Amino acid sequence: MNLKTVLICLAIFALGSPVQAKEVRTIETDDVDLDVRIFPAKGNVLLLGFPCDEGRSIAEEKTAAALAEDGVEVWMPDMLSAFMLPKVRSSLANISTDALLALIDEATSTGKRVYLIASGPDTELVLRGASQWEQGHKNTALAGAILMFPRLFKAEPEPGKIPEYVDAVGKTRLPIMLLEGERTPNRWGINTLSEELQKSGSTVKAEVIPMVRGYFFKRQDANWSEDVVTSQMAGLIKVSLFYLEEKEIND
Amino acid sequence: MIKRLFVFAMLVSVTGLLQASNLKPYTAKGPTPPLVLQDLQGNLHDLKDYKGQVVLVQFWATYCTPCRKEMPSMNKMMKKMGNVPFKILAVDMGETRAEVTQFVNEVKPEFTILMDESGKSIADWRVFAAPSNFILDPEGNIRYTLFGGVEWDSDELVDKLKALATR
Repeated sequence: MNLKTVLICLAIFALGSPVQAKEVRTIETDDVDLDVRIFPAKGNVLLLGFPCDEGRSIAEEKTAAALAEDGVEVWMPDMLSAFMLPKVRSSLANISTDALLALIDEATSTGKRVYLIASGPDTELVLRGASQWEQGHKNTALAGAILMFPRLFKAEPEPGKIPEYVDAVGKTRLPIMLLEGERTPNRWGINTLSEELQKSGSTVKAEVIPMVRGYFFKRQDANWSEDVVTSQMAGLIKVSLFYLEEKEIND
Repeated sequence: MIKRLFVFAMLVSVTGLLQASNLKPYTAKGPTPPLVLQDLQGNLHDLKDYKGQVVLVQFWATYCTPCRKEMPSMNKMMKKMGNVPFKILAVDMGETRAEVTQFVNEVKPEFTILMDESGKSIADWRVFAAPSNFILDPEGNIRYTLFGGVEWDSDELVDKLKALATR
């Protein structure tokens, strides 16, 4: 058995079995009751993710468990199930901003520094929630956001034209870490998106992850490099948090 | 069963028509961006040298599934264009020669593949998705754009491109 086979086996093993959150807490909002999977940790950093996953994010939950072991508390509310919405992009518009604010309030009330994270079109929730929360709060408990392969076009991009982004882009001042796969055309748009995000005062750092496609950790047809990066996603997020924390200290 | 086949055929037909109709008149301002790139054999191609021909400039990548699917129809389209002066310049988006060569050996495009390893032309042409297509008239002006995979050998598309040559 060669090294490549061993790594594939390890990655498949690491991804194959579901992880149980240590706690599921229900947060009541005016609109809905939100079930939040909580991976508790003793550190002073809390990562609030918005996986619109109908509770089926095996790779994300594995990552959350690994982060919690490393001292980063992770909260994973299931927004789609709470609002009884189907897993389609248009559902995002039906997730109320009030519910996002209630989650951020609950997370910041722990006294930990809160960072938001989402992937694909779900990154709209992060930006919408952050910008609205900032309008009502002056403190810095909400400390930054990680956007993994954000898909924030308002419509199909027309060749030859700068794309239009959803309304939430360019509204928050949070420091942002933007991660994009190398093997997706979207990597060529990260500078343009970064510029749009910076218009509201955000500091944005963009990084391309080599040899992976977009949504790599959700893919049924993931290749070897994508499996390996997925198995190392906790490390990738910790590096992103390190960058965001450094920004916070320097600013 | 016959009913199902009929519905399927209708869907394929309607989808094809919808795709062809996605050809959009180009409305962005400014001159046609430069395009000077090497092909897989190392030969330099300058878009300016193709004045007098209708040119399809396509930005694509090996990992782009619609790009792979539509390439056989691009081969067929070249044949359907007949004697009309026509050129396809398919610009790979930032991959290595090894990756593209492997793809070319599998899919066998019969048109010119250009390499943009730095991404300069991708930025110049404001490309944010693949496949992104630009159709130029014989004077070198961009007349249409099209995003997404299509059956390039459809009569509707071929007729539109032929019409550009005879204006």
